[in-house]
Amino acid sequence: MKKTTITVMVMLFAMSLLVSGCAKTPAKDEGLTEETTKVELKQQQPAVVVEKDVKDDAAALARAAELAAANGLVRIQFDFDQYVLTDVAKAVLVVNGELLTAAPAVKILIEGHCDERGSDEYNLALGEKRALAAKSYLVSLGVGADRMSVISYGEEMPIDPASTKAAWAQNRRANFKVKR
Amino acid sequence: MRYFKPFIFSIIMLCLLSSVASAARIEISAPGEQTIPLAATHLLPMGAGYPGLAEEFQQALQGDLELAGLFDLVDPDAFLSDADKLGLRRNEIDFYQWRMLGADALIKGGYKVDGGKLTIELRLFDVITQRLLTGRRYVGKLTDVRNIAHKFADQILKSLTGEKGPFATKIAYISKRTGRKELYLMDVDGHNSMQMTSHRSIVLNPDFSPTRKEFIFTSYRNGNPDLFRKEIYTGRESRLSLKPGLNIGGRYSPDGREIALTLSKDKNSEIYLLGTDGTIHRRLTNHYGIDVDPSWSPKGNEIAFVSDRRGNPNIFIVDIFTLDVTRLTHAGKYNATPAWSPKGDRIAYSRLEEGNFNIFTINPDGSDDRQITFGKGSKEHPRWSPDGRFLIYSYDLHKKKSIWIMRADGTGRKKISAPGSNDSHPAWSGSW
Repeated sequence: MKKTTITVMVMLFAMSLLVSGCAKTPAKDEGLTEETTKVELKQQQPAVVVEKDVKDDAAALARAAELAAANGLVRIQFDFDQYVLTDVAKAVLVVNGELLTAAPAVKILIEGHCDERGSDEYNLALGEKRALAAKSYLVSLGVGADRMSVISYGEEMPIDPASTKAAWAQNRRANFKVKR
Repeated sequence: MRYFKPFIFSIIMLCLLSSVASAARIEISAPGEQTIPLAATHLLPMGAGYPGLAEEFQQALQGDLELAGLFDLVDPDAFLSDADKLGLRRNEIDFYQWRMLGADALIKGGYKVDGGKLTIELRLFDVITQRLLTGRRYVGKLTDVRNIAHKFADQILKSLTGEKGPFATKIAYISKRTGRKELYLMDVDGHNSMQMTSHRSIVLNPDFSPTRKEFIFTSYRNGNPDLFRKEIYTGRESRLSLKPGLNIGGRYSPDGREIALTLSKDKNSEIYLLGTDGTIHRRLTNHYGIDVDPSWSPKGNEIAFVSDRRGNPNIFIVDIFTLDVTRLTHAGKYNATPAWSPKGDRIAYSRLEEGNFNIFTINPDGSDDRQITFGKGSKEHPRWSPDGRFLIYSYDLHKKKSIWIMRADGTGRKKISAPGSNDSHPAWSGSW
């Protein structure tokens, strides 16, 4: 009997050691677990955004295309007293045309401008010819004519008011503004 | 020469006496050949004096007389005692004193201020024959001093040449002094400038109605270059032509019944005639090139305009009934802004050469093409005075824009806009 009692006591002691040992180890683990949870929370937030994106995919893509058009339409330059499109201008219009085709809801205003040289009235007519030249080229690229209106400002709104060749070249332009 | 001048002047006066038809013999286009020695005395008070009034009057009158180019003004420092005597009747004047100074003509005058009412009496005498040439009494407000001076200057030209001067008229013009281009109105000598529009947009290229106190101009206020009409004294304003595209360069016909302008409603600029209600009466040009800047012949049957139909911008003339187009200018590579003299004999325009515009005049048949401005800067937008003696124009020197006036032959150039005001595109009213 005594032997049995001792054995039980030893086992109990051993178990109590085991238990206490077990208790200590999880205490350290808890800290680790907490950290892991934090990481998981951080990962959850972007996961929610991704879900939303998936829901509104088409509209967001359209909005992105509109934004691309609004920010990406590049102005074109002309030679003095000319409204014929240069090869560079045509290449730019091809890119503009792609942006506009990708954003079919976007309507634009094409502004025709001139440099300060030449007569004001004549330049108003010349600016309009430049805007119209840009428009008809975009139409030939498949952009709907009803999406584009034109206005001429002649020499009234220079980008650079200086009287230098560089300024004049900048000012002889057609630019593209997305209508709101 | 000194001895001949009184003699020439007497002959002119005899012509004036003998018939009205032979009166207009002094050619202002040839200044210096027949200048008349003129003594313009200070206004004297008839009663209590008013500080500054005589000086203001003198300044306005003298400016007109100098611009006229007809006169050789006698130095006031040389004036003798008669200059300080108020007598306005011929028997009260010591003509001998004025003959000693070499004056052939004499202006004397007096003023009276009564409350806010101003009365100015003025006389122009022929010193040689001791005759009164013209006498006028003007009654107005104190603020009318300059206007009275201009009216009397007009009267002096009438009595010496048979045709009155254009000094008591108005100039409409565009100024960017607020940062935006707006329409303004001022006297021919640049005084009394008044802002007429507050569109806070771009206002362009005014023209006066020949029959009513109103003007037309183009404005971007509604997002398109539309043609506006504005009554000057009521301030009432309306849009006259608002076709898609350009509605620019409006010019009243000499009878005031139609307006020539450029429209681009069919995707190309063409010259049209509108009724004063804005309806289209007739299309005058039909060409894929640029057609702008109409200017009426005084008979109202032809219109000069700018077109690039032969390559570079040049002046052409269209018959408004047959629609036949003839080319006016052949020299130079860039000719624009035509203005047909109200006399019909010359067309002024500006030519771009070596980066600058200069003003030329040419006969309507293309002969006698003559440059009348030279030197630095651009001179553009010439417009004639209603009597055809003077031209007003825009001058742009190193971005500083101002309005200048000169005689029809290019002499007597004078800046009339205020310093630093950034003015351009003048238009000259008819009689006011």
